[in-house]
Amino acid sequence: MKKIIQSLIILSFLAANFYGSAFAATVKIATEGAYAPYNFKDAAGNLVGFEVDLAKMLCEKAKLKCEIVEQPWDGIIPSLVAKKYDAIMAGMSITAERQKTISFSRSYSTEPLRFAVLKSNSLAKMDVASKYLSLPKLDSGEKKSIMEIKKAMQGKVVGVQTSTTHEAFMKKYLPEIALKSYDTMDNMLLDLEAKRIDAGFTAISSIKPAMEKNNTIMEVGPSVTGGILGQGVGVGLRKEDTDLRNKFSSAIESMMKDGSLQKLSVKWFGFDTAPRN
Amino acid sequence: MDLSLLGWGNSGWLDEFSIGMVMTFSVSIVAFIISLFFGVVFANFKLSSYRSLRIFGNVYTTVLRGIPELLVIYLFFFGGGALLRSIASALFGYDGYIDLPVFIIGALCIGLSSGAYSTEVIRGAILSVRKGQLEAAYSVGMSRRQVAIRILFPQAARYALPGLGNIWQFVLKDTSLISIVGFVEIIRVATLGAGSTKQPFLFYFIALLLFLFLAWISQRVFYRIEAWSKKGEKSLQ
Repeated sequence: MKKIIQSLIILSFLAANFYGSAFAATVKIATEGAYAPYNFKDAAGNLVGFEVDLAKMLCEKAKLKCEIVEQPWDGIIPSLVAKKYDAIMAGMSITAERQKTISFSRSYSTEPLRFAVLKSNSLAKMDVASKYLSLPKLDSGEKKSIMEIKKAMQGKVVGVQTSTTHEAFMKKYLPEIALKSYDTMDNMLLDLEAKRIDAGFTAISSIKPAMEKNNTIMEVGPSVTGGILGQGVGVGLRKEDTDLRNKFSSAIESMMKDGSLQKLSVKWFGFDTAPRN
Repeated sequence: MDLSLLGWGNSGWLDEFSIGMVMTFSVSIVAFIISLFFGVVFANFKLSSYRSLRIFGNVYTTVLRGIPELLVIYLFFFGGGALLRSIASALFGYDGYIDLPVFIIGALCIGLSSGAYSTEVIRGAILSVRKGQLEAAYSVGMSRRQVAIRILFPQAARYALPGLGNIWQFVLKDTSLISIVGFVEIIRVATLGAGSTKQPFLFYFIALLLFLFLAWISQRVFYRIEAWSKKGEKSLQ
């Protein structure tokens, strides 16, 4: 008898989950909740952050009924494939490795890179026409800006973190400039402060905290995104859900056009992370 | 350091931590009971006169002491879910998502793993009971069952207590592994808090204090029980 009751309890557990998802018409979006400012929890236990706001806005644009659920990073892709939820918005970069298992919408956030220099260095006055360089296709203005950087940096030494896309960019687009490689971003910034290098080329998200600690550091030149630097962060989806993917992609496109994506990213990151193309 | 993060309610993380501690404690209790159950069953298997049961017991303790608990959790949680879903789709044509209750699966995994250690502790304790005690019991006409309940178990339990106290401490700490499948205990709260506020040192330090607190309380409780269990022994002082 005890065994029968036990199996009934277990069955009811399963059945509750079974029906819970079987008749769900809402799109469930998973996020991690521990990756500020992309997605995190406030002290009241609510999910907040750039992606939580973005998910709401995208669903409104795409006329979808959405629900945001919390999922630890480990197992976030297998659980998508197993249909625990329908989409992932968790600061997940679009990579070829991940694309073997799932598909991505177009990117909604990129990690722009810039040069960090000391205010006392002559590079602080480097004047470049374009504010942005959007790889891989450069327009004539952007090509001219590359020439301007080359001219300003003649005889200067630029630090990069070794084996990064940052290093790859420098070698491909600015091969004439002397490079010095560092094992960590922190060591590079320390050498910048010690004037062993004239500039460091790295993510704005790394430069900002350094600027807060040391007010003689500043950022110069265009912010560089796309192409060789990676495709940015997108909504992760099951491969077969092409309809949902198109809906998310076009909602992102329309938020890029009306400027709301740029505004939202400035609100959470302090700088514009919206993709340029 | 922003100490307002440690407030109670909607402005601080202390209430989340408290719930986490209750969850850590309750999943540990359930896991420990499961561990004791497996320990008693497999210790008897390993001491059995049947060769097949002895082999079964040896395989259990060798395998589960040999593989990391993390793997057991991955296997049961992800593997178990996948198995259940494939059964559901094969039998009922249902291809949605079926989840396993994290609390039960987590307690089962930790209990199963530590059960292998409990087995050895209990086996050692049973072997420590002097043969003469059992022979005396049989000679006054007790049945096997009576000997087990009246003579063997009370003495073996006394020998097993210190070892089981150790296993309890292991179980307490191992529950932190379940945080990776989303079970909200102390470590998961600390991870969420650290990632959300960018103050990992503060949050993991609090997690450390809470675990120390639980360990300290349990140590005191086990000392009490050990002292009580030795009431009948002659004091050596």
